[in-house]
Amino acid sequence: MSALLARVPRRTVLPAVAGIVLLVVAADAIGRLGLAGAAWPTVTDVVDYLTSPTAQTLLGRALAATGTAAAIGFVAGGLGALALALLGALLPAAGPGLDRLAAVVHAVPLIALAPLLVTTVGREGTSTVIAALAAGFAVFVAATSALASTARAGRDVFAVLGASRLSTVLRLQLPAGLPTIVDGLTLAAPAAVLGAVIGEWFGARRGLGVLLVSAMQNVQIPLLWSAALSAAALSLAAYVLLVALRGWVTRRFT
Amino acid sequence: MSQPAIALQSVVKEFPLRRGTAVRALDRFDLQIADGEFVAVLGPSGCGKSTVLRLVAGLDTPSEGTVTIEGARPADLVRGHRLGVAFQEHALLPWASARANVELPWKVAGRPVDTARVDELLELVGLTGFADARPRQLSGGMRQRVAIARALALTPDVLLLDEPFGALDAVTRRRMNLELARIWAEERITTLLVTHDVDEAVLLADRVVVMTGRPGRVRHTESIDFPRPRRTEVTRDPAFHEIVDRLTRLLDESDEPGHSDAAA
Repeated sequence: MSALLARVPRRTVLPAVAGIVLLVVAADAIGRLGLAGAAWPTVTDVVDYLTSPTAQTLLGRALAATGTAAAIGFVAGGLGALALALLGALLPAAGPGLDRLAAVVHAVPLIALAPLLVTTVGREGTSTVIAALAAGFAVFVAATSALASTARAGRDVFAVLGASRLSTVLRLQLPAGLPTIVDGLTLAAPAAVLGAVIGEWFGARRGLGVLLVSAMQNVQIPLLWSAALSAAALSLAAYVLLVALRGWVTRRFT
Repeated sequence: MSQPAIALQSVVKEFPLRRGTAVRALDRFDLQIADGEFVAVLGPSGCGKSTVLRLVAGLDTPSEGTVTIEGARPADLVRGHRLGVAFQEHALLPWASARANVELPWKVAGRPVDTARVDELLELVGLTGFADARPRQLSGGMRQRVAIARALALTPDVLLLDEPFGALDAVTRRRMNLELARIWAEERITTLLVTHDVDEAVLLADRVVVMTGRPGRVRHTESIDFPRPRRTEVTRDPAFHEIVDRLTRLLDESDEPGHSDAAA
């Protein structure tokens, strides 16, 4: 983390900090003046709540549940999507069919899929599966275009060397496409968190999604905001990690 | 001359444009290259000389006519991993070291890497000290030398060079050409070079074929008889300049509009 921050130029840090301060002050002002009604708390209310031990246990447990579901979904969805994209590159005849399948799966709203999943994979598995679907689509689109966009010069070299399709995919297209694939991962990580939270709305035992629904129904405003902030923090943490990975991959593979 | 190593017989290559129209890049193009001969195809840009090379490499197929290498189709030579090609774009793998890039042909062919041969090739192209450097740490000339070492890796039967030094500055290019002349004198592989640089063609080749503008045809063939290995003295020989001047004139004429029979 410190190594990552060290790489950020000072020029971009100051405006970023100023922006965050401005946002917090504005949010607090809206809460104090009651501009957005009773459902908009002051920042101090939320911070007060976040520092209480009960809230920390509650949120910590929910974060762990959602984080696990999102992480498993991210890895499983990402690997599955990468495998499908590689299959499409190895069997060009299957490519358009796979593209269409992915588009159809993506066109079904995840929220409509959830009740269906609850009855098939159960309440606990639903959030992981939805996270996997959400992350998988982002990875599939990125990986398919990454594998297809290898420079012609490189393909020509492999063609005249008499390389098999498998060898070309593994030794040329995949490493050349890695930066683009990691781009897809940076989009897939927040999608996995979102998918996990949505999945939890449909009766999971714990998780940020559960907290969001119950806090909303019981008008626990600080809890509602704390849960939402936790979900955002989880997304952001995953994103920051992957941006760091992208930096490394770009330096190593281009 | 027994069976030629490479033979193009009345080759026509057309590239389809919109519906019903096509551009003719090559028109009844004939070329025979003997075993162990170095032939340079010289032509103005856009004359189809790179198409000649792509046809011989099996990257394209002719619309009419035949292309054979050792009596077989180019694809057969490629399948046997017996073709070496260096393109104008070096197309090295940016994530792999110079050594790993030279090792690529063995890996692609599924053969154990001949480390001694890799060392020998790196020495041949003068990059022994840069074996572990990645392409972006190398200069443009060094990258092209790695690409040439890669093309020579499996001691191919046929070597194809598509303006391998075309992207380099004039000084580096000249030095690379002298170096290539030295390397070729050691390997003596049947070689086809396409270029628009007359000095390069005359310095390196046993025979220079001058092409017309599009559609490309053979306009003139010139035998170059300077003894090998050819060093920098050759380029100071008045006979060298006489040939260069004559071929340059032919090239200029074939570049003039109206001279080619494209409109016919």
